[in-house]
Amino acid sequence: MTSLLKNVISNTQINTQLVRLLHTTSVCCKVQAGRYRITPKKDFPLTYEMANPPHEIAHRKTWNSWNTSNLQGGLRSSETAVEDVFIRKFVSGTWHNLFVSEIIIKRQHNIIRVAGIVHRAINARKVYFLIGYTEELLSFWLQCPVKLELQTVADKKDVIFKYI
Amino acid sequence: MSLFLRFRLRNIQKNTLGKTFYSSKAEEKIEIPNRIPRGPTDILRALESTVSRDPTAAHYKYHDDPFLIPMSNVGKRTFAMAQESGRKAAHWIRKEHADLFNHRECEPPIETFFPKITFNKNSKVTEEDLKNVIDDVQISEAVNVYKICKENNIEVSQVSQQKLLELLCYYNSEDTLDKEFIEERWFRQSSRLKEKQRKIWRDGNFAEELFISIENPTAEVYSAIIQGMAKHLQVERAWQLFEEAQQKGIIVNTDTYNSLIAVSNYLKEGYDQRWSFAFDLLSDLNRANLKPNLGTLNSVLKTLSTMGTGRVTKTYTLQVLREFKDIGIEPCLASWYYVLITFCKDRGPTSTILTDILNFVENKEHKIQDITDTNFFVTAMDICRNHLHDVDLARRVDKMLNFGSNYDLMGDSYKESIYYRNYFVLLSESLPLEEFMRDIYEKYVPHIYVPEPGVMGEILKIVDINGAIEFIPKLWSDMTVFDHTNRENLLETVLDIMVNNEIESELKENFSNIAWDIFNRIENQNENRTNKIMFTGDLLGKILTLVTRNKDFIKSCTVMDKLDKGHSTIVGVPKIEALSLFVDQCIEEKQPSRAISCIQYCSDSGFPEATILAARLNEKLTLDENHLNNLSKIVGDLSTMKAQ
Repeated sequence: MTSLLKNVISNTQINTQLVRLLHTTSVCCKVQAGRYRITPKKDFPLTYEMANPPHEIAHRKTWNSWNTSNLQGGLRSSETAVEDVFIRKFVSGTWHNLFVSEIIIKRQHNIIRVAGIVHRAINARKVYFLIGYTEELLSFWLQCPVKLELQTVADKKDVIFKYI
Repeated sequence: MSLFLRFRLRNIQKNTLGKTFYSSKAEEKIEIPNRIPRGPTDILRALESTVSRDPTAAHYKYHDDPFLIPMSNVGKRTFAMAQESGRKAAHWIRKEHADLFNHRECEPPIETFFPKITFNKNSKVTEEDLKNVIDDVQISEAVNVYKICKENNIEVSQVSQQKLLELLCYYNSEDTLDKEFIEERWFRQSSRLKEKQRKIWRDGNFAEELFISIENPTAEVYSAIIQGMAKHLQVERAWQLFEEAQQKGIIVNTDTYNSLIAVSNYLKEGYDQRWSFAFDLLSDLNRANLKPNLGTLNSVLKTLSTMGTGRVTKTYTLQVLREFKDIGIEPCLASWYYVLITFCKDRGPTSTILTDILNFVENKEHKIQDITDTNFFVTAMDICRNHLHDVDLARRVDKMLNFGSNYDLMGDSYKESIYYRNYFVLLSESLPLEEFMRDIYEKYVPHIYVPEPGVMGEILKIVDINGAIEFIPKLWSDMTVFDHTNRENLLETVLDIMVNNEIESELKENFSNIAWDIFNRIENQNENRTNKIMFTGDLLGKILTLVTRNKDFIKSCTVMDKLDKGHSTIVGVPKIEALSLFVDQCIEEKQPSRAISCIQYCSDSGFPEATILAARLNEKLTLDENHLNNLSKIVGDLSTMKAQ
């Protein structure tokens, strides 16, 4: 018993010695995701959504995907995430260079509503063509009704909140 | 024990006390209502019924955004059609890459999201496939599948064969527009109606082949083919087949009789012959122990409506209505439509039958029972305006249209625009202008109805008669939004109204701006436009008057320059009043050279008043030597004139 104790003590002594040999720095709490770096010329445009870091979600800004799949008992959480990526890629590719905001995806029951702000770079007729095409093709793909809820701005600068 | 009793007694007392406090003396019997069976969408329908059309917002098929809300008729049409065209593009992609869309995400599976199955010669088909494509109204695909079945000696049951024949006969063996494309149906031009007046049955089409291939055709087979031919106006053959069936002792169904009665005007020339033809068919129907239905009533009324304006026709119509009522067949809107066109002919005497009809159909929700039901509202409004000129009746018709879901019976965009055109012109003619603009114009324009150029012209005319020029700025801004500014007659009307009603108020500035706007629109027309508006002297004169009245001297000079430079190309000359106004303005602005060039123009155009203008200029302004010389070159010696 005593020998065992002695052994333990000596072991801890070795450990402390080892720790002292390691070089450590203070903990770095840096998080970078969803934040934008200040540019030297301070001319990088940010929308309101971009200007607020992720910890402001639910305080000063909201989620970009609205669904209940990640709540307790929620269904299809991985599928929902993958589908949302697909919708975003499809919409930003189909509406090339037209969306000036994040693409918001809201799911209610079996309906998916895709919202966003669009630049008036093309005439209204073409906007309607793209609306019809996007809604129909996405609903074929996701096999549920998909609706677009768009707003338009005349100038891309209209959505810029600040420059950093 | 006694304690217990006392406790109970107290309890009872308390209870009785409570009872007197809370319940009324009369014994209330609770009646549990019977359970009403509800469908899955009943709650949605109940909610929907609380929402009516909001005239301040665009139709919900358009996006609610200022950039995307259509303002003109062209806009409404192109936006809705563009969206549908986008949907068609998506359908095309799904069709071309059907293999990529084979995943089954939805549970339970929803067929409309999956690509349509296509068949070729080598595919294995069963009767089940045939049934599916028939139920899905894919006409050419159904023919295709049937042919494959025949080639591979697959037995097709008589029921399926009959279904296929009925499908082919109904659609004339031609593919129809997918039921999903509602906008195309709504905006499709009703020129089809005119097209309908001639034979469109394709002789020797697959329906006929199928009919011939059926051995020992039954009554249903005959019924289908006769109805198909009658519907697409292959009337001779339809009649031939009908006689053939009768010789064989086959009794076709009531609908076949109906379809034959409905085409009597193609089979028989004279009115009496038509009537006796219809009468014979009805007697046949009776002899065959078949019951007439609503279709029979409508067919008979349709025949009667083609039988001229005679008194007899009207008596027959009323008799038919009476008799069908006796056997328990209530007329639908289509029947009333035929009654209306029978009684209210263009050249016939005026009839107020619409009032009586409205008493029957008002305050009721109508479901579509006959395809012609959609003609009722547009015809009723037409009669209100052109036949009876009755505002109250028109309002009753409109109220009925907006009752419940009756608006579904409007038909298509073309009928809707005719309906509102008649309603608008009638109201604008009958109501006081202020009331019309406040209650009607503000409410309907632009989201429910955009006035066509013709209707706008009528409204402008009424504004002119009433001298209600305060509406002009509003109307002009609407006209620019509705694309009416390329109509020469409308531009002239607007200018006329503004010139003829001279007033001293802030409207002057508005008018000047409108005139200037018109000037610029004509000036900056697209070079390649086919129907370009040309400046005329008169038009420019009016513009000149309006801008000069507002003392916009620079604009006036621009217009004057245009007149002066285009002397050879511009047809006609302005009124002398306009020119004299301009000279006065020049005098006020102390611009003698401008005035002199105007006087030069006057004298070149042969106005004798040029001399008077010159004299006035000389009198009001002290001219230098140079100007005096120029003036006297134009009008002669100034000193003599002053003496006059």
